[in-house]
Amino acid sequence: MLSLCRGPTGMDLWQVLLTLAVAGSSNAVSGSEATPAILGRASQSLQRVNPGPGTNSSGKPQFTKCRSPELETFSCHWTDGINHGLKNPGSIQLFYIRRNTQEWTQEWKECPDYVSAGENSCYFNSSYTSIWIPYCIKLTSNGGMVDQKCFSVEEIVQPDPPIGLNWTLLNVSLTGIHADIQVRWEPPPNADVRKGWIVLEYELQYKEVNESQWKMMDPVRSTSVPVYSLRLDKEYEVRVRSRQRNSEKYGEFSEALYVALPQMSPFACEEDFPFPWFLIIIFGIFGLTMILFLFIFSKQQRIKMLILPPVPVPKIKGIDPDLLKEGKLEEVNTILAIHDNYKPEFYNDDSWVEFIELDIDDPEEKTEGSDTDRLLSSDHEKSLNILGAKDDDSGRTSCYEPDLLETDFNASDVCDSTSEVAQPQRLKGEVDLLCLDQKSQNNSPSADTAPTTQQPSVILAKEDKTRPLLISGSESTHQAAHPQLSNPSSLANIDFYAQVSDITPAGSVVLSPGQKNKAGMSPCDSPPEVVSLCQANFIMDSAYFCEADAKKCITVAPPVEAESRAEPSFNQEDIYITTESLTTTAGQSGTAELAPSSERPVPDYTSIHIVQSPRGLVLNATALPLPDKEFLSSCGYVSTDQLNKIMP
Amino acid sequence: MDDKGWSLKGSLLPLLLLVSDLLLCQGVTSLPICPTGAVNCQVSLRDLFDRAVILSHYIHNLSSEMFNEFDKKYAQGRGFITKAINSCHTSSLSTPEDKEQAQQIHHEDLLNLILRVLRSWNDPLYHLVSEVRRMQEAPDSMLSRAIEIEEQNRRLLEGMEKIVGQVHPGVRENEVYSIWSGLPSLQMADEDSRLFAFYNLLHCLRRDSHKIDNYLKLLKCRIVYDSNC
Repeated sequence: MLSLCRGPTGMDLWQVLLTLAVAGSSNAVSGSEATPAILGRASQSLQRVNPGPGTNSSGKPQFTKCRSPELETFSCHWTDGINHGLKNPGSIQLFYIRRNTQEWTQEWKECPDYVSAGENSCYFNSSYTSIWIPYCIKLTSNGGMVDQKCFSVEEIVQPDPPIGLNWTLLNVSLTGIHADIQVRWEPPPNADVRKGWIVLEYELQYKEVNESQWKMMDPVRSTSVPVYSLRLDKEYEVRVRSRQRNSEKYGEFSEALYVALPQMSPFACEEDFPFPWFLIIIFGIFGLTMILFLFIFSKQQRIKMLILPPVPVPKIKGIDPDLLKEGKLEEVNTILAIHDNYKPEFYNDDSWVEFIELDIDDPEEKTEGSDTDRLLSSDHEKSLNILGAKDDDSGRTSCYEPDLLETDFNASDVCDSTSEVAQPQRLKGEVDLLCLDQKSQNNSPSADTAPTTQQPSVILAKEDKTRPLLISGSESTHQAAHPQLSNPSSLANIDFYAQVSDITPAGSVVLSPGQKNKAGMSPCDSPPEVVSLCQANFIMDSAYFCEADAKKCITVAPPVEAESRAEPSFNQEDIYITTESLTTTAGQSGTAELAPSSERPVPDYTSIHIVQSPRGLVLNATALPLPDKEFLSSCGYVSTDQLNKIMP
Repeated sequence: MDDKGWSLKGSLLPLLLLVSDLLLCQGVTSLPICPTGAVNCQVSLRDLFDRAVILSHYIHNLSSEMFNEFDKKYAQGRGFITKAINSCHTSSLSTPEDKEQAQQIHHEDLLNLILRVLRSWNDPLYHLVSEVRRMQEAPDSMLSRAIEIEEQNRRLLEGMEKIVGQVHPGVRENEVYSIWSGLPSLQMADEDSRLFAFYNLLHCLRRDSHKIDNYLKLLKCRIVYDSNC
């Protein structure tokens, strides 16, 4: 303990010894004043001995650690500096102070035991130790404080190492190469584990004898632990350390336990060769390659697609070319019909073909069914729709084709302005035919009718505005029209729209008789009304009128009144005047005889010959057979030739 | 067994029993503790103590971690340690300070002491949580630990009351505990003073949790295993 070997002189050594003896014998608890005095003297002697301890920069004594092994006692250690040889170790003192209840005791007490814990230490036995009580210790050297530390005892617990390590063999592996052992130990003796005052946990470490690195195991609370897989041909060392279960700091390690395992039997298996990594890698690569090739060969096509994707062909938006290939035309059409630009030509052609065939190839079929019905039927409407309801081209083309007049009529809705131009010609033809029938019928009975009775002609325009009409035609018309009358009975079947049956060399159109116009009275049936209109009332909204009638109206006014009462059923709003109505008017001078309207033809259209006034039109009655005596029976439809005859 | 709120660490129970058996336990002799002397009482008391020890151990762990974290983060270089050996508010309770004193005290008194300490910490823990939450610079782990400690402390208190009810049924002492008055210092505007107050509180918490843990382990060995753990 005392560094007797070192020292300047023998005198100094004796002084040191004396000082220490005095200090050790003093009552440290009471903190007597004697000790400081002695120490002071000692230090003075030291200073005399060593005139200049001088530069003591890094050699300052300081606490190294304070430790309690079992939570009942504790000890503190310090270093005494570099010049421990030069300085008097006894000059260093330790003082402590602890709190009691609420107050610190004002006096610092000296260390009670400098010896038990070794050199440069202070040992506090259980009587001086209080757990959960703060302590402060300070280190003084030559009276001056060198270091200070404060702590509680429960914070500095570091148990002693376990004792009594031993091991037992658990088993040996089948290969005879490895073995398991169980290591046991005892807790440190000073730790009162039995009473539960302190609870410990342990950590075991082992290694091969010639290794340098220890292998650690997890902390355990029990005092024995198995160690697995030790090689039989090696030697091991095992050591254990402990700590309090809530702390972090471990105690010291126990002494290493030497484990000498039994030798391997000579009949044991050969040393297991190291894991054949190389072979595994080779086989693994081989297997993966096989799988890859299988995969590639099975999905060749798809891989080819992946690698070389096909160039996309242009396709119409919304249309799958496969549809066209498969021939599903309906679907394609429905798709395309959505777009306005598309015109399924073939549908158009079909409807044209149908109509053409029906009319030209089969004359018998002309009379079958009413044209109006056909025209107005839904089938035709469908064909129109198929064409594209808003498609004007088909309508327009049809307007300009003279051969397909029925479709012209049908498309009259579609045709806008063009139809109006073409219509007069058609009207002329139709009306001619219609009135032809009528005239032939009336020709004979009414031949004696005075022309003057024809005065009540239908005037479709105002008298004021009418220009001198072509009167000439009126007298000749009924003459010319006579022979051209066809079967009178067939006149009853003439429709509002008449069907063209033939075209005469003269250029006029021969209409086939159709149904009578069911829409109201034909103008031809009610001439008297017309007569009445002739004088006073003009059909305002009529577009044209018979020139003969107009003439008659102008020249002869009063006689019209007598017959004005007859046939008041004339529809004043009718634009058209049929020869029928005029015929009946002429034939029934003064009589209110109603002509059988059901049989009279209704020529509704005529061609315009002369436009006299804004409200007057002179209609052409070229093909109409004029009754002999009834100049105006043809409703004033006078042909140009007849007009020329009449007029000078 | 009625364990309201004692759902913590049920899986540790068999392990702890095993450990206790391995720790030189020679078996349980008949205890004078249980009045009925029935086996059920002994077993249930063992379970109660096991759970109590687990809880107290857990609380002490959390307190240590919390204190270490705070110390590392805020107290370095501030010299708190030298000033900080202030008294804890529970110092007024005369608890045994070493092993001899702990062995001499009767277990009922010791149980009551434990209860007193636990009760004394109800209020400070509650305020600790709220103040840590308000402290912006506090890390989230500190707050979570504070919340956990407060909850476990409440559970431990319930468990202890149950143990007391089983060990000494019918005896009910007045609720004695020491009052904590450190809230104003926790809310001080001065940062240094405020941090010092926190440091002090956490230091006291660590110490008291260790104390309770120790007492309970001692009691468990004494009561359940007859001082032969």
